[in-house]
Amino acid sequence: MKLNGSEIIAECLLEQGVDTVFGYPGGAVLNIYDALYKYSDRITHILSAHEQGAAHAADGYARTTGKCGVVIATSGPGATNLITGIATAYMDSVPMVAITGNVTNDLLARDSFQEVDICGISLPVTKHNFIVKDVKDLANVIRKAFRIAMSGRKGPVLIDIPKDVTGAIYDYEPERIEPISNPVLSEKSDFEEAAGLIAQSQRPMIYMGGGVVSADAEKELLEFAEKIDCPVATSVMGLGGFPSSHRLFMGTIGMHGGYETGKATDNCDLIITIGARFSDRVAGDREKFGKDAKIIQLDIDRAEINKNVKTDSHILGDLKDTLRILTDTVEKTEHNEWIAQVTEWGKKGGVTETPRSDDYAHPYHIIELVRRMTKDSDIIVTDVGQHQMWVSQKYRFEEPRTWCTSGGLGTMGYGLGAAVGSAVAHPDRRVVLFTGDGSFHMNLNELATVCSYDLPVKVIVMNNTVLGMVRQWQKLFYGRRFSQTDPHRKTDFAKLAEAFGVKGMRIHNDDDAEDVLKQAFSDNKPTVIDCRISPDENVLPMIPPGKTVDEMITEME
Amino acid sequence: MENKHIIGLFVHNHPGVLLRVTSLISRRGFNIDSLTVSPAGVEGYSRMTIRINGDDDQVEQFINQTMKIVDVKRAQELPESGSVASELILIKTSTAGHDNNEILAVTSKYHASLVNLGDRSMTFRASGTPKEIDTLVSELDRFGILEMARTGIAALENGDKTLNA
Repeated sequence: MKLNGSEIIAECLLEQGVDTVFGYPGGAVLNIYDALYKYSDRITHILSAHEQGAAHAADGYARTTGKCGVVIATSGPGATNLITGIATAYMDSVPMVAITGNVTNDLLARDSFQEVDICGISLPVTKHNFIVKDVKDLANVIRKAFRIAMSGRKGPVLIDIPKDVTGAIYDYEPERIEPISNPVLSEKSDFEEAAGLIAQSQRPMIYMGGGVVSADAEKELLEFAEKIDCPVATSVMGLGGFPSSHRLFMGTIGMHGGYETGKATDNCDLIITIGARFSDRVAGDREKFGKDAKIIQLDIDRAEINKNVKTDSHILGDLKDTLRILTDTVEKTEHNEWIAQVTEWGKKGGVTETPRSDDYAHPYHIIELVRRMTKDSDIIVTDVGQHQMWVSQKYRFEEPRTWCTSGGLGTMGYGLGAAVGSAVAHPDRRVVLFTGDGSFHMNLNELATVCSYDLPVKVIVMNNTVLGMVRQWQKLFYGRRFSQTDPHRKTDFAKLAEAFGVKGMRIHNDDDAEDVLKQAFSDNKPTVIDCRISPDENVLPMIPPGKTVDEMITEME
Repeated sequence: MENKHIIGLFVHNHPGVLLRVTSLISRRGFNIDSLTVSPAGVEGYSRMTIRINGDDDQVEQFINQTMKIVDVKRAQELPESGSVASELILIKTSTAGHDNNEILAVTSKYHASLVNLGDRSMTFRASGTPKEIDTLVSELDRFGILEMARTGIAALENGDKTLNA
């Protein structure tokens, strides 16, 4: 059938099962938006306030559904505004297809109005990118883009399409999309080798990461961990991939991870790394990480093996398959003594919490109250900074894909966009965004989107009036010289919310917190809760960068 | 231990493939001293030969990262002992203050052929292993090298195996 390029794009999105896209119109994508108008009964377009918000929304949509997020932006600034969102997705292996318009073929390379080389710009932050200069290539490029984004280690792919291509007529033949399957690349002997190391181990631990969630391998992991009776630590990215309430769950590992995960790392004789990458926020000291332990690594990306930390044995392939095979290969074991030891560390490793005050709410108190008011399937989104770490430490996640945070890139301003995407994907669930006043100031314009679509997002601004995480580092490592981290802005977030057409509320201290939150959670209306937090609150414990648990900070003035 | 390693790449001849490979080399901090690209003899594919400095782990990481580039079909180290590696040089030496025969005596040892004779210069063409070319350059240095251009290394593994996937 004869269609124009934009209709071909719409048809190809439908082939992939896409029913929701995020974006922002503009000159170079006029044709595409004209097709979206025509296809509006089958493809819902969510209009953001800024392209960055749209990219984060596509990311949040992808993380909470497991589907590929789709974002559309115009050429030039529209395209460059996507970059932070694409880079965020890239660092956290989130599948996304970004479609950008560009100027017409005959205007390319002439510094035309709103022309930018977005393929060049996005090259280091995409799995792959394309510029489609001929409409005859369009359908296959889109199919390839989705395949690349969703296969192996997932990630973002960008397709740049000059405006004349989106208007050109060409034959479109529908194609049935074959499901993606990632082969197991390891041999039987690799599994036996790993099983041998596990059998020899007296003190094993699992260090899991976002790969478990990405592979939807939470059941396989649970079965594996239970069969070998092995305590589980997770990176911040892996939260939700293993139930927090499980007796084997230790919590997060790394810079702001718990004492027990740090002690376990130092004292175990085997680390089984599953879909995690030994980032500097986990393995601060790469040489000393698991210094007395053998290391097994399961991953889908060969380039992660021996990248940061040397491993003794590795297994390559989709975790869903490799974990199943490994579980079948290992013998059932018990590690009662070791688990008792880990539990003991967990008990005594508590940090000294700051005394509660009448002037402020305590972040842990807020998080625990919210947890009591949410279901396991409700979605928790954060921005980046102290509030993010408090949530990663305290919120008890039970289900995968209920957690959206920028773990790798650490993008302040990620949260509200991601909350939009999560809420659009799950109209039946509650979405709670924990943010800080610093992060929220960056992209709060997306409140306009939250309001327009009446999304049931509850925004909790942990407002300490300072840039708390950087300020904490200035306290520790820069002689308390608070350079540019004490803005003490006067923004009234409750009033601001109302200006956007969103309900605004305030929490002054621990005493009124419960009532305010109860009231806020009594309906499904978008709400911003401005929550006063002490500017002096710190994230503890903390392993200083490049160090181990031996130098863990548990107290700060 | 740091060493020189030669990596052969069999890549899709798509626009931007060279940029993808060089961008990866730069952002991952690999240290290369030669990179060549040419048709691979298979329609739609190119051959890249890259010489990098690094230890075995870095070479493994380089190959693993390179293999993630969608347009790269194969990447493999070409073992030094089991491969033939060669490059070509054009080199212009000054003849001022020297007997031409003195220069020719040096260049003939390396089978360098005289391709142009100027008023005060001689231009030679030679090919050989990178080491042979390095030695030629250092021997000609005393006459005064006016300019030179080296093609970079081309390499193939010995025996019947090929990189062409």
